[in-house]
Amino acid sequence: MESGMKLPTGIGGWLKATLPWVLLAVLLLLPATHPSDNLIRLLFITAVWTTTSLGWNLLGGMAGQVSFGFAVFFGLGAYTTALLMHVGHSPYFGFAGGAAIAMLASFFIGLPTFRLRGPYFVIATIGLTEAVRVIMNNLDVTGGASGYRIIEDKPFSQNEHYFSAIAAVALAVIVSTLIAKSKFGLALRAIKQDEDAAAHVGVNPYTSKLWIHAIAAGLTGIAGGIYARRAAFIYPGDVFAFQTGISILLMPVIGGIGTIWGAVLGGVIFGMVEEQISVKFPNLHLLIYGSLLILIILLEPDGLLGLLRRLFQLFRSKREDSGSPDADQVLWGRGGVEGR
Amino acid sequence: MEAVEYLDLLLKALLLAGVYAAMAVGMTVVYGVMKIVNLAHAGFLMLGAYFALEMFQRFHIDPILGAVLALPVFFLFGMAVHWLLVRWLPKSDTPTLASLLLMFGFWLVLQNVGYLAWGNEDQSILTPLTLSSIQIGEISIPKVNLVVFGAAVACMVVLQILFHRSWFGRSMRALIQNPYAAQIVGVDDQRTSRLTFGLGTAFAGFAGALLGMLYSFSPDFGRQFLLRSFVIIVLGGLESISGVALGAIVLAVFEIFSIRVPVPWYSHGAWASYYLPASYQPAMSFALLVVVLLLLPKGVAGLLERKWKAA
Repeated sequence: MESGMKLPTGIGGWLKATLPWVLLAVLLLLPATHPSDNLIRLLFITAVWTTTSLGWNLLGGMAGQVSFGFAVFFGLGAYTTALLMHVGHSPYFGFAGGAAIAMLASFFIGLPTFRLRGPYFVIATIGLTEAVRVIMNNLDVTGGASGYRIIEDKPFSQNEHYFSAIAAVALAVIVSTLIAKSKFGLALRAIKQDEDAAAHVGVNPYTSKLWIHAIAAGLTGIAGGIYARRAAFIYPGDVFAFQTGISILLMPVIGGIGTIWGAVLGGVIFGMVEEQISVKFPNLHLLIYGSLLILIILLEPDGLLGLLRRLFQLFRSKREDSGSPDADQVLWGRGGVEGR
Repeated sequence: MEAVEYLDLLLKALLLAGVYAAMAVGMTVVYGVMKIVNLAHAGFLMLGAYFALEMFQRFHIDPILGAVLALPVFFLFGMAVHWLLVRWLPKSDTPTLASLLLMFGFWLVLQNVGYLAWGNEDQSILTPLTLSSIQIGEISIPKVNLVVFGAAVACMVVLQILFHRSWFGRSMRALIQNPYAAQIVGVDDQRTSRLTFGLGTAFAGFAGALLGMLYSFSPDFGRQFLLRSFVIIVLGGLESISGVALGAIVLAVFEIFSIRVPVPWYSHGAWASYYLPASYQPAMSFALLVVVLLLLPKGVAGLLERKWKAA
C-alpha cells in the first residue's frame, strides 16, 4: 500500500477529491437560504436513511454478510433515545446510548452465528427482527404495540434536527472511509472474497465480523435515535418493522454494494423517491424494488454507481486499469457482489 | 395439568409437525443440492394457499385435491423460475450474497403481485371439514388437521421413495454429498438443479395449500413460516429428509408446549405458575434457533449421528 498524501490526477481525480466537501458545504449552508420546511424535512429523512445505508454497507458490502435485521438496531436506537430523553438526559446522550444498545444487540446475534459456516447468520437476522418486534409489542414499559411518545421540553427546531442528521451522515462516511483505508478494511474484503484464505494469512474472520457488525449496528442505532427524536412518536410496527430492515438493505444494493459512495447514492435516491412512490403506489413500491433488486443482481451487480461508471467509460478512450483493489476502488467503485 | 391434557397437546404437536415437515422439505432439497437459501420459499407457500383458495372458489375443487393439483403446477413454475433466474447465479459451496439477494428480490415480487391480485385482507378456506372434529375420549381432534396430516405424510413418503429409489433421487443425493465427484461420474448438474428447484417449489405450493386450510392467510403469509422452515432444517442437520421430520417434531412440540405449560415463577415471595402469553409464540422459533445454534450447531440429527458413531 502506498503511504502519504497522493495528489489527485485528472479531472475525474479532482472531482472525486472535492465533490464530498462541496456537497457537505452546500448541505451545511442550505438552511441559511431559508428553504421550505418540506425540503429540509426531506433532506433530514434522506440523511437518516443514508446513515443506515452506510452502516449496512460496512457489514454487507465490505464483509459480505447479508443482514435482514437492521430494523432491530434502528428500533433499539429509537427506543433507547426515547427512554433516555424521558428520564431527562440530553438527546445527544440518547443517541450515544442508542448506539451502545444497538452494538450490544449485535453481539447477541453475532456470537452464536458468526462461528458457523453456512447461512445461519442471514436466517438468524430474519428471526431476530420478528422476535424483537413481538417482544416490543408486548413490553409494558414502552407502551407495547400502541407506541411511545417523546416529549422534549425545548421548542421544536427544524434546523437542529437537520444538522444532527447531516452530522450522522458525515460520521458514517468518515467511519466508512477510515475502515476502508485501514488494515481492518483490507481484512474484511479478504473475508468477503475467501474466508479460508483470509484465515490462513492471519485474519480472524470471527472477531472481524463481530466488530464490523457492531460498528454497523452503532451507526444504525444513532440514525434510529435521530429519527425518533424528530418523529416524537414511535411504535414497534414502524421502527421494528421487517419493511424497515428491507429498506436498509435495498439502499446500498441499489446504489452500488460494497462502495461507500454507492451506499450514499442509494440512500439519497431511496430517501427522495420513497416518499413520492410509497404514497402514490402503496402496494406497488416494493414490487418495483424487488424487480430492481433482481435486475441489479443479474445484470449490474455494482448497482447504479457501476452503471454510471460504465457510462463514463463510454466517453473515455482509455480504459481504467483494473489493478489491485486499493482503497480508492472501495470508495468509488468495484465493490461487487462477490468481490473480485 | 393432567395426563390427558399433555396427551392432547402432544397429539396436536404431532399433527402440526406433519405440515411443518412438508413445508420445510422443499427448502431442504434446494439448499442441499444448490446451497441456495430459498427466501422465495415464503412466496411459494403464499401462492400455494391462494392456489387452493382459487381452485376451491372458482371450480369447487376440494382443497386437498387442490393441494395435490398444486404439485405439478408449481413444479413447472419452479423449473421456469430456475431457467429464468436461478441458473445465472455463480456456483458456490456456501450461500452467496448474490443468491440471497436474488431470491429475496423474487420473494418481494411474488408478495406484492399477491397484494395486487388479492388485496391485503385475510382470507381463509372454509370447508365442511373445518369445523367438525373427532372425539376420542376427552380428546377432540379437528378433522381438517387429520386430513392435512395424512396428506403431508403421504407426500413425504413419496418423496422419500423418489429420493432413494429413482435415478433423479440418486443424482440429487450425489450432488448433496459431493458436487464435484457427482459431476465426474456423469450427473448432469444443471438438469438436476432445475428439477430440484421444481421439486422444492412443488412442495412449497403443496404445503402452502395445506397451511391455507389450517390458518387464515394474506399475501404476507409465508414470512412467519420462512423462519420456522429454517429452524427445522437447522435442527435436522441441513441436508436430510429424515432430519426434516425430526426437526419438525421438535419445533412443533416446542411451540405447542412453550405457551401452554405453566412455568414455575417466583414472585412476591411465593411460587406461582406463570403462563407465557400466547402473543410470544412467534418469537419461540427464534429462541429455539439461538439455543440450537449455541448448543448443537449440527442439529439434533448431528447429535444422534455422533452418539451413533461413538457407540
